[in-house]
Amino acid sequence: MTPVTLTDEAWEDVDPGVEALVDKWLVQEGDAVEVGQPLANAVLLKTNFEITAPATGTIAKILVQTGETFARGTPIATLLA
Amino acid sequence: MTLLLSTATEDQLWNREQLARVVREPRWRIGICQQPGVVLGCSQRAVHDRLHSEGKRNEIEVVLRESGGGAVLVGPWMLSLSLALPRDHAWSVQGSLHSYRQLGRLFAETLRAGGVGAHALCPEKMNDAQIALRDRGLPPLAWACFGDLSPWEVVNAEGRKLVGLAQRRRSTGTLLVAGLLVERPPWSMLCALLDHPDRLADILRQRTTDCARELRNTPTPLSVWVQMLHAALTDALTRNPCVASTEA
Repeated sequence: MTPVTLTDEAWEDVDPGVEALVDKWLVQEGDAVEVGQPLANAVLLKTNFEITAPATGTIAKILVQTGETFARGTPIATLLA
Repeated sequence: MTLLLSTATEDQLWNREQLARVVREPRWRIGICQQPGVVLGCSQRAVHDRLHSEGKRNEIEVVLRESGGGAVLVGPWMLSLSLALPRDHAWSVQGSLHSYRQLGRLFAETLRAGGVGAHALCPEKMNDAQIALRDRGLPPLAWACFGDLSPWEVVNAEGRKLVGLAQRRRSTGTLLVAGLLVERPPWSMLCALLDHPDRLADILRQRTTDCARELRNTPTPLSVWVQMLHAALTDALTRNPCVASTEA
């Protein structure tokens, strides 16, 4: 399984303890996706980030739902490459 | 450059169009909404839907933006900037906080050149600034952009907010947006629209300031602010784009 995460670049210089929020999922579990495809939008410090597929495959499980928050390094979904 | 007269809907449409394709070079627009409108942050979708179902959009423009943060009351009291950047631009490539820093500092420098004492709030001073406001009985109001503080937003010496910032980052580019208060907004209008008690309007009044207040009744014409911002952006982004990456 390949984890889907918000990139380290997004968390650069962000204080530990600050969490991001899943604003919107653009795919569902079971959807086939291409590498680089936008999967979800997440908000961190007023910035809306596009989270893209790290590989081509199928969305296995969404771990963080719309409106929920997550910490740095936490996968928001898993992808079966 | 002339002052662009716009609407909240037109502004959001322009913003969306910029990142719909790869941004090749910096592009920006500076304008003002002649009519009042509420621009909600992307995470305020439920509020947006409620206002639409209640028919509030018949009274005032209510739109959702793609960037985060709280609600913004746009109107003749606020100058809006939208700035689209290539992903590999010096202002964009080092991450979102760096982008905020560059834009916050540009606004602060421009305001100081226009006689307004202002500075961009660095992350290390955020906590102290929030505590100082809290100690004056002014808690943050996260549902309103100008009710809270974020890194590199622009404040006066008392920590009262003058410029709000937000951002959208896609594979096609980065979009930075900013709102500068040139006059005091009718905060009671925002509270009433979003069903918050009117006493919170007083907190918004005291947590913010505006150019007219800072300049003690000798306001700078809007067209002058537009020209100054345009010149500063042109200098920083096009003529000398590496300045951003070498600043302390």
